[in-house]
Amino acid sequence: MTEIPAELEFDALAVPESMDDAHGVLEQLWALDESISPLDRMRFELAVIEILGNIIEHAYANDVDPRVRRVTMTLTLDSEHLVAELADSGVPVELDLSDIGLPDFEAESGRGLAMAQASVDEMTYSRDQGRNTWRLVCRRA
Amino acid sequence: MIEIPVDHRADGIGVLAPSGRLNMVSARALRSAIEELVAAGHARIVLDLAETSFLDSSGLGAIIAGLKTARQAGGDLRIARPTPEVLAVFQLTNMDRLLRPRDTVDGAFDD
Repeated sequence: MTEIPAELEFDALAVPESMDDAHGVLEQLWALDESISPLDRMRFELAVIEILGNIIEHAYANDVDPRVRRVTMTLTLDSEHLVAELADSGVPVELDLSDIGLPDFEAESGRGLAMAQASVDEMTYSRDQGRNTWRLVCRRA
Repeated sequence: MIEIPVDHRADGIGVLAPSGRLNMVSARALRSAIEELVAAGHARIVLDLAETSFLDSSGLGAIIAGLKTARQAGGDLRIARPTPEVLAVFQLTNMDRLLRPRDTVDGAFDD
């Protein structure tokens, strides 16, 4: 049964323990529309989890009070798109998104953003009034 | 949460079968499980991914770390039975060329 367009919101501490809750919200999204292809689910989930992981690891300086290390995630679904917006109030991201590459084969980290970018159709980042916002768009098959 | 059952086979090969999602949280558990196997003398390891439902860059990093650990101990780490979704993650990062996923656990060390 299809109940779209639909929107789900998630607000959590930017800590690794929030990761499984985020997967749970994605599962709720899949339950709203069984016609989303397995490949679209995988690539959208991968991008969302990579950006969330990036926020958890890099958005907040170590001395920031854990209670204000928060991340919000809004997932929207319509018949043609899957869209995610992830926002935090951490430090600005100093990265050129047009120049993200994969590291060497042997590297054990540093692939997250490249994987997110490669798996969705659009990935943008913006900084406005002290907030970082990542937007991910997947055009459905 | 993830569970990582371990099978110490008679031929010396250690088989790890992570069940669930390999992400930032569970990647640490996989790293530890591989290090323990190698420390126990099982430097040849098969990572059976049949029950691994999700893989991200952290999980991939743990697999690469495990590959290096196994090779430094004179062994190797082979990937077997990834789902189409997990295989797509290997292909997205070209890691399928380094890790060459195998179709079976039993045949993972045949070549």
